[in-house]
Amino acid sequence: MASDSDDCKIQLRVSNYKAYVWDVEDIATLRAKHHVCGVLTGTLPHLSQQNVFLGVPLVLLPEEVVLLLEKQLAVLIDDSNAHRPPSAEALYRWNAEREASASQQIAAAEAERASEKAAKLSTSDEAIRKRKEREAKRAAVARAKAIAEGLTVDEIPEIAVVPATDARSSTPSKLVAPTFNVTIPASSSELEWYAPEGRTHPTLDSARAAGVWTYPTTPFERAKCRVFRDLWEKGNFMGGGIKFGGDFLVYPGDPLRYHSHFVATVIESPTAPLMPMEVVAHGRLGTATKKSHLFCEWDEKTQEVTYFSVEWAGFG
Amino acid sequence: MEKHPSFEVLAPYLPKYPKAAGALFQTYNDLKLAQQWTDIEIIDLPECSRCGLRGRRPNTDDVLSVVPCVISESLSTDWIRTTFQELGSPPHLYLAINTEDSSIVYYKISPGIVKPPL
Repeated sequence: MASDSDDCKIQLRVSNYKAYVWDVEDIATLRAKHHVCGVLTGTLPHLSQQNVFLGVPLVLLPEEVVLLLEKQLAVLIDDSNAHRPPSAEALYRWNAEREASASQQIAAAEAERASEKAAKLSTSDEAIRKRKEREAKRAAVARAKAIAEGLTVDEIPEIAVVPATDARSSTPSKLVAPTFNVTIPASSSELEWYAPEGRTHPTLDSARAAGVWTYPTTPFERAKCRVFRDLWEKGNFMGGGIKFGGDFLVYPGDPLRYHSHFVATVIESPTAPLMPMEVVAHGRLGTATKKSHLFCEWDEKTQEVTYFSVEWAGFG
Repeated sequence: MEKHPSFEVLAPYLPKYPKAAGALFQTYNDLKLAQQWTDIEIIDLPECSRCGLRGRRPNTDDVLSVVPCVISESLSTDWIRTTFQELGSPPHLYLAINTEDSSIVYYKISPGIVKPPL
């Protein structure tokens, strides 16, 4: 089913009608080569208490998925079914590998901690020695003073030498075993029982027939796909439009370098009703945010996209 | 309306498109008296069932096109396309959206992808 040329196509792993990219190389290729950005949606294990910075997987807009399939740049994988039930032996091997890796990581972490501790202890040994010297000196001075004041040797109070406390105990000793972080691989591609062959769909039709991917279904969804594709073919980067009340944000270059110039609203057909209030709402918001609002009309008959740019007039 | 000074100028056009008469009257008066436009002409746009206006903003040379509409009516991109054609394909047009309390808001529509001003 999957031909050789499918191997160089980007793998989009579909789960519940959403397409995810898990391979970092593919995410880079999508952005740099195909100007498709997507949105990172995974938690970063080392920075889990925030969601400003997120990690893999990348999730794509449905229009991005449709475009990539139509241009034959990607294939869809029925991810759930690509995970076959593992055999008992495979599970045993996987478990053994995980345990071995965890023990290895813990051993390495323990060794590191021990060497750190040793570095600290050498200074505290010194500190102990110095303290003892100081105590001895002080005792000798006090004795000399007492004799000078005429006390007999027997009456000299023993200067209680405070036993040098173990410097080590000044740092609270942990009575519980130290905890370490262990990293485990999250990617499914290394699993013995992950087998995408036979569950890979190189075309939208094949994916639709298998019930894996059904977008677009309605005329509006079709219009959104065609407008997205037209904007993409003009070299634009697109993002989701929700923050600015549109269907897409349109950037002339990488979003990391540019602010978007345009907010695009898709018009389903040349005769679809367009209320003046929509012109006001979109136009005014666009102008207030230094963007232009684009009404992008899809004409199913002529198979063309027509653009109209709207902005507040500045008078009236 | 008949007693209003503008009525004379608009009289030939108002009965032709009764549904658009209110918006035309309101927009004409706004442009002439409030916005102080000069050289205002009235353009018949039969395909759009209304009249448009052309004129100059104070102290400018560019002739601008204005198309009045009512906030409650339903337009379409086809209608916008036709309006541009009937006006002779100007670089942009101003949609004058009229409301019942006599407020007008003007929005500039340009064909194609036009970058916003800096």
